[in-house]
Amino acid sequence: MTRRNFLLFIVVLFLVAGLLPVISMLVKSIIADGVFSLESYEGLLSSKRQWMLMGHSFLLSTLVTTLSMAVGVPLGILFEKTDLPFRRLFILLFVIPLLIPPYIIAVSWFYLLGGDGILAHAGGTGLLISGIVSRLLFGLPGCTFVLFSIYLSIPMLLTMIFLRTVNPRLEEAARLVSGVRGVMKGITLPLVMPGLLLSAMLVFLLSFGEFSVPNFLRYDVFPVESFTQFSAFYDFRAATAASVPLVGVTLILLLAEAAFLRERTYQLNPTPEDEMLPPIRLKKKRNLILILVSMICFVVVIVPFIALLTRAGGPDTYVEAIGRARGSLLRSLLYASAGATILTFFGFFIGYSIETGALSLRWSLDSVTVFLFALPGTVIGIGLISLWNTPWTNFIYSTPLIVIVGYLAKYTALTSRITVAQLGRIPQSMEEAARVAGAGWFRRMIFIMIPMARRGLIAGWLVGYIFSLRDTGITMLVYPAGHETLPVRIFTLMANGAPELIAALCMIMVTATLLPVGFAWFIPGLVRGRGT
Amino acid sequence: MNRTISALGFGLKFLVAHIGVVAGFGLMLQGMVISGCSGGGGNEAGSVTVYVSEDQVFSEPILNDFAKETGILVKAVYDTEEAKSTGAMNRLIAEKNNPRADVYWANEPIRAEVLKQKGISASYISPNSVDIPAVFKDKDGFWTGFSARARVIVVNYGVKEPPESILAYTDSRWKGRSVIANPLFGTTTSEIAALFTIWGDEKAENFMKAMKENEVALSTNNGESTDFVASGRYDFSLVDSDDAVNRMRQGKPVRMIYPDQGENETGCFIVPNAAVLIKGAPHPDAAKKLIDYLLSGETERKLAFADCAQIPLHSGVGIPPELKPIDELKVMQVDYAEVASKLVKIQPFLKAWMEL
Repeated sequence: MTRRNFLLFIVVLFLVAGLLPVISMLVKSIIADGVFSLESYEGLLSSKRQWMLMGHSFLLSTLVTTLSMAVGVPLGILFEKTDLPFRRLFILLFVIPLLIPPYIIAVSWFYLLGGDGILAHAGGTGLLISGIVSRLLFGLPGCTFVLFSIYLSIPMLLTMIFLRTVNPRLEEAARLVSGVRGVMKGITLPLVMPGLLLSAMLVFLLSFGEFSVPNFLRYDVFPVESFTQFSAFYDFRAATAASVPLVGVTLILLLAEAAFLRERTYQLNPTPEDEMLPPIRLKKKRNLILILVSMICFVVVIVPFIALLTRAGGPDTYVEAIGRARGSLLRSLLYASAGATILTFFGFFIGYSIETGALSLRWSLDSVTVFLFALPGTVIGIGLISLWNTPWTNFIYSTPLIVIVGYLAKYTALTSRITVAQLGRIPQSMEEAARVAGAGWFRRMIFIMIPMARRGLIAGWLVGYIFSLRDTGITMLVYPAGHETLPVRIFTLMANGAPELIAALCMIMVTATLLPVGFAWFIPGLVRGRGT
Repeated sequence: MNRTISALGFGLKFLVAHIGVVAGFGLMLQGMVISGCSGGGGNEAGSVTVYVSEDQVFSEPILNDFAKETGILVKAVYDTEEAKSTGAMNRLIAEKNNPRADVYWANEPIRAEVLKQKGISASYISPNSVDIPAVFKDKDGFWTGFSARARVIVVNYGVKEPPESILAYTDSRWKGRSVIANPLFGTTTSEIAALFTIWGDEKAENFMKAMKENEVALSTNNGESTDFVASGRYDFSLVDSDDAVNRMRQGKPVRMIYPDQGENETGCFIVPNAAVLIKGAPHPDAAKKLIDYLLSGETERKLAFADCAQIPLHSGVGIPPELKPIDELKVMQVDYAEVASKLVKIQPFLKAWMEL
């Protein structure tokens, strides 16, 4: 099999898994009783309520993006360019909320600030503060804060990554005529602007399509409309139509990214460690900045976990939680591991296709992966049911394989982009030399490219594992009866389940997510290396 | 020949070099397919798949007991009504052409009616349904009610003369002091649709408009409404009996009133669970056994004493002191099929009402 045929085969499999269900849903939304009909779309955005919901979504996303950038970019600069102590610890802590299901963060703030929360039971001042703050928690302020705390690390990390790509000689030359601030303003920030815009776009898209947090904190946003059609009216055509504006916004931003940013965000050439400039010394301001960063970290990261731990109570609750959810936990780990492996496999070859241009549709392929990532999980889930629920495909639909297909559809963008970034750093001459020496493509992949991309593959596997583990939107719709995962079980038990039990299950979920990440972080060279 | 040998050698080296990854990957997938097909180790012939809209904390113990007593493996999909996300009901509709479920445990009969209207359910008249009042079951056997909630008025202790009718929502005495759950979802929608069927459209619409003019507040669900009343933020709300009993058992300062029990009054709306046999169920015999079990007096007794505090529809079943037996209640006389149809028709009105 030639390179092209193999890559085409991989791409076709991915499109069948990911795009075909969505196309199936879109087609069904315009066919009523065998006849073409736009009836489902006629009422779209025609009522005041729908425009109100759309306005809410835009407002929420804009606020979250603005706050995340305002705090995340300076944090990225501090951690990458200065001598602030405990930088690696702070980076790890700030990333944690991104790794766990968003509604768990919302739940933990509810346990702290809700009417029956920890603060309310504290009495006195605690009760007074709880009374005031709990009203803010439910609504736009609470949603904004929770989503900000989750997505803050995206601009932080991307700022750090793009700062590494700035040629230090330019900064060095600029420092001859200007101070640190001037260099930052005139040289560094303009050069990393594509990365900042990319992070703003990502945060906007993710918060725009987010449903679980606004739903839990009772702030009506546009994704509610799609779910209302499912939940209240069982109208799949209308629900698909209701998700089209979300798809439209996603496409517009993707087109903008493709037009203005793609070339500048793909080819990342980080500066080697030994060529980097020495860190900027914070001198007298060091302690003050350390205290400020610590406070932000405490509020955004530590407090919600303290709330969860406090609510969960003692070991007995955890024992009961594990006893009741042991099967769900094991299934979650199994499905996430399998999903991560499949995602890494497909992500590698799709990323290879994009990076090398081995297939002519490289940018279309990239856009499809990102499009599917931004699409609400419910649309993909219903599409999977409509496509795969047939007597001839029961061997997929009635088994956990359908869940893995869902992960493949939704999260391939992550592993493919990690692969692209990693492959971009491997000199093409390595593969070319092997080719000249007579090695076929498969041998070059197995013995040259994959070993050299090892760190990227491990990082991709970890990212695929985390997102597969935390998934609820698709899993909730397609998991075979009796095979629910832990996030689904937490969600279903939230209805009248004991808060202590829910809190304990959330902590177990967090631990299951963070363990492999921590393992990889603390083993030198496994993922982190020069310039990683 | 040399090329063939070389290719074979290369393939062997590939396998040897990556045997761990390949084997692990293959075992994982194999495990998943096997576990998916066998449902975690059970015998396919001795299993039943049930989709459940009743809260998992209440329904799971019943299903576990059924599995223990009969030896039939139960595979369940639970709903997330509280989160309003797509769940059991939508799966059933999406899977219509290739049903995977055997039984649907609905937490209200309206959903069961929707399934009947969409041709997804099958007729089955259980021997345990004989004693259940006719108003709580489909005459053709497409669903049978059991273990009900009543729509009640939950009132804060601090209210001296509590309301005893749902008409209190339009009484100026309670202006700005009442709350109701989102009428687009759940039992609130069902009750409003029921009022439309017994009052007529004009009277029901006027009632809703008067409610808005009386500054009724909206909550996201009945539990939240009950919590608002318990905290004193509002004086009363129309909620499900299990929400009220739940807060009473927690020691919250609320009491429960069965509304409109007077001679010429409408009575209180009753929301039974409903057991539904799915058309084309893969395991029809096990499905019927499960339905018989759900409709038994013993199941109703367990659900009455659980935190969900549901009222048995069989007479003579023991109940906790907070509940009234069904035959002591004046029940709103409705046709649930008519309520299900009306529910769809009034959706545009309710959406517009939300925007008022």
